[in-house]
Amino acid sequence: MSSRTSADPSAQPDSAVDTKPFVEPADLGTFDPAKSLGSPGSFPYTRGPHRTMYRDRLWTMRQFAGFGSAEDTNERFKYLLSHGQTGLSTAFDLPTLMGRDSDDPLALGEVGRCGVAIASLADMRRLFDGIHLGEVSTSMTINAPAAILLAFYVAVGQEQGVPLDKLRGTLQNDILKEFHAQNEYVFPPAPSVGLVVDTIEYCTQNMPQWNTVSVSGYHIREAGATAAQELAFTLADGIAYVELSIQRGLDVDAFAPRLSFFFDLHSDFFEEIAKLRAARRIWAHVMRDRFGAKSERSWLLRMHCQTAGVTLTEQQPMNNVVRVAFQALAGVLGGTQSLHTNSMDETLALPTQESAKLALRTQQIIAHESNVTQTVDPLGGSYFVEKMTNEIEASAYAIFDQIEGMGGVLKAIDRGYFRRVIAESALAEQKRLDRGEQKIVGVTDFVEDGSSGVDILQISQETEDAQIKRLTALKKSRDPARHQASLERLGSDAQQGKNVMPALVEAAKADATVGEMMTTMKSVFGSYDGGPEW
Amino acid sequence: MVTTARSTEQSKPAESTTPAIRMLLAKIGLDGHDRGVKVLARSFRDAGIDVIYTGLWQTCEATMKAALQEDVDVVGVSLLSAAHLTVMPEIVRIRKELRIEQIPVVLGGIVPEADHPKLKEMGIAAVFNPGSAIDRIIETIRELAHRRDADTPAQMQSGYKAKDVCALAKMLTAVQRGDDLGDWRPPSGRANVVGVTGAPGVGKSSFIARIAQSLHDQGARVAVVAIDPSSPVTGGALLGDRLRMMRGAGDFFVRSLSSGLAPGGLAVNCKEVVDVLNGFGFDYILVETVGAGQGEVAIGELADRTILLLMPDSGDAVQFSKAGIMEIADAFVLNKCDLAGADATEAQLLSAVGDDRPLFKISTIRDQGIGAVVDWVRLA
Ligand SMILES: Nc1nc2c(ncn2[C@@H]2O[C@H](COP(=O)(O)OP(=O)(O)O)[C@@H](O)[C@H]2O)c(=O)[nH]1
Ligand SMILES: [Mg+2]
Repeated sequence: MSSRTSADPSAQPDSAVDTKPFVEPADLGTFDPAKSLGSPGSFPYTRGPHRTMYRDRLWTMRQFAGFGSAEDTNERFKYLLSHGQTGLSTAFDLPTLMGRDSDDPLALGEVGRCGVAIASLADMRRLFDGIHLGEVSTSMTINAPAAILLAFYVAVGQEQGVPLDKLRGTLQNDILKEFHAQNEYVFPPAPSVGLVVDTIEYCTQNMPQWNTVSVSGYHIREAGATAAQELAFTLADGIAYVELSIQRGLDVDAFAPRLSFFFDLHSDFFEEIAKLRAARRIWAHVMRDRFGAKSERSWLLRMHCQTAGVTLTEQQPMNNVVRVAFQALAGVLGGTQSLHTNSMDETLALPTQESAKLALRTQQIIAHESNVTQTVDPLGGSYFVEKMTNEIEASAYAIFDQIEGMGGVLKAIDRGYFRRVIAESALAEQKRLDRGEQKIVGVTDFVEDGSSGVDILQISQETEDAQIKRLTALKKSRDPARHQASLERLGSDAQQGKNVMPALVEAAKADATVGEMMTTMKSVFGSYDGGPEW
Repeated sequence: MVTTARSTEQSKPAESTTPAIRMLLAKIGLDGHDRGVKVLARSFRDAGIDVIYTGLWQTCEATMKAALQEDVDVVGVSLLSAAHLTVMPEIVRIRKELRIEQIPVVLGGIVPEADHPKLKEMGIAAVFNPGSAIDRIIETIRELAHRRDADTPAQMQSGYKAKDVCALAKMLTAVQRGDDLGDWRPPSGRANVVGVTGAPGVGKSSFIARIAQSLHDQGARVAVVAIDPSSPVTGGALLGDRLRMMRGAGDFFVRSLSSGLAPGGLAVNCKEVVDVLNGFGFDYILVETVGAGQGEVAIGELADRTILLLMPDSGDAVQFSKAGIMEIADAFVLNKCDLAGADATEAQLLSAVGDDRPLFKISTIRDQGIGAVVDWVRLA
């Protein structure tokens, strides 16, 4: 693709053609490898967070997938655990992601469709039935109701007798990118971010092994941002979480090591590599120089990456396998700690088992056959890659200045800045396609007739019906006084600006549902309509 | 989700003589992936189409009620959640129930080839998958809009007289387009016409939605005319006011208009549109202007009373000074008082315009202070 970086953030990327056919040493200007790169595993970590990288430890091959009911997912978890996997990855269905119960009118047709439906502690208990939470690490992709899902997890852990400081896992918990791009927000920006800081504070004090926020550029990029915008917006969001947590009174070195990042791997091969290298360098400087973090673990940017769903095409879906392979390779050459490779049929529906396996095999081939793992940061010192890394870094700093000029991330959201810029970039890309300046194999060029003929996984209606039945029964069987009191406490804690985590854990144990807790908080925090820009 | 739609040639701006096609774009359900629908909305605008976008998380019912009121030429539904076989039959059912079967519905999203015939059979005019050429989509929309059955003036007039909302919607289109209706004139009405003006983003649409809902809840019949600017280059427009007004869908009547070449923040034939609404029997007609600033004084002529909306720290109070818009306002509403700086802006405003006209401090999103404004509006 062609979103070449430019030091001027307002300049729209316009052409895939670089003006120079090759880069020369002089193009790098005053480039000091010791300062800009360091060795792998040393400041500013441009070349990688660890000294030996994949020679000692491959990246985590983390394939994320959703299955209908809590039972189905539980079965899948047990299968994975019995085959030696220790990390569980949970995808929730759309109603859960939006903080709505399975019987909400807007949930119609969505329950259990793209992930598991969790409306109450009872559902969470079934999800982890027979799994010892002290022995696994669980990643939960959830944002607006993240604090509630964390409360469910804490409650299940306590029922199993696992001490809080033994619970390990990750919450996505990045609400800012929801306002910019993915639209799974519920409350207005300020109280939403307040909830994120509540979880950071709670985990820092009680669950030191928990990764609190996965600051995500993925969705920002998928919504249309350029590589430079993805990088800058994501890091700006990260900076906002750090600032607010410090304002809350937390010591930066106590919580910063538990923040991680999540980037998209698009098709412009070298640009993606440059983006990941620049991300580490910027973060190291920001954490050390701006926030005064003393611990090396605070300076280190750890990342998960996923190949770009938006680049996959419905036409000639086999081509997607090739796209994913190149994108994944860029992630590895950029030094990612964890990787998800998309399945070739994802534009059509949930991936089938066959295609999901092929996606995993793609990573294994890179890991075990290509030998790119044998030398750390093999592209370090390439005139081209170093120049690009410098340029995308400069773009990011320029965008930081713009955001700061508006008064920070929250103020910029109020103005509709992120949404406007992202929509403009998406439209600009469309226009490049329209003008034939950008090509998509099998879509704009090399087109074939006929449909794809790929098998599609369909989900049945039964999951939804059964889930709603269980929820109805739960609402009848719970202790109404305890339930009522727990929601009242939640409302009053939120009103008084207290950390709501303890109240959420209590409400979870009183069988309050996700929807009920969200509604209670909405009555205090208000709701949000997306801001001025659309 | 891919948005690899493309076109092979540049779309030409619409001829200024032909009225713009009006299209409603809707996302239904909880899925928030709106890259595709946003790119389409902008591409349609650039092809000279007036696009009414209803925003995220809509129900089938609210969508089709909006289609009825807006009398659009085409409804486009975007679905990425694979729920098309649940959602589209519902859309078709409601379309029939509302008696707007002449409005064609097209679907865009991830729809397996095997489902296309089923959708066509139930009455969906076209299905576009990711990667459909934008040129072809636009061509299809033009064709569908062109083929759409129109009522005769006589049909519209008798329907209008019988208080049929469908007929009202069509009459508004005809009047706004300047169609020949012979010597038909709407009867005169007794509506209280209230203009709402203020800079883009101060919350005009959200505020109007709140006021309209409140008036409705008190038993009044309420209509809203919401105007957004047309692109001077392509003639198309993005009409986004309605997306703030979806919650009360059906409780009050909303018509979105593009400004066209009309000066002063109103739309072409805006007065005629208001007259048709007035003659239909509405008690209140709320008119939202473009919000272009200083020169927007035309609303003063059209409305019985005009409200100027401001927000804290906007600098408007200073920038507007005493001339133009500040002069014609009958009341000032300082919105977004939940944000910092409200008191300072209030002081600025008072020193600029004095205190002989009412000044309300409100927060639309917190629902604070609205009641006093409603009382003022009712006190006609
Ligand atoms: N904080 C705050 N935001 C508001 C208030 N009223 C409206 N908004 C927001 O301002 C943005 C623009 O509102 P909109 O009604 O579209 O403004 P318009 O362009 O003047 O019609 C939306 O995101 C609204 O939610 C308010 O009282 N307080
Ligand atoms: Mg508006």
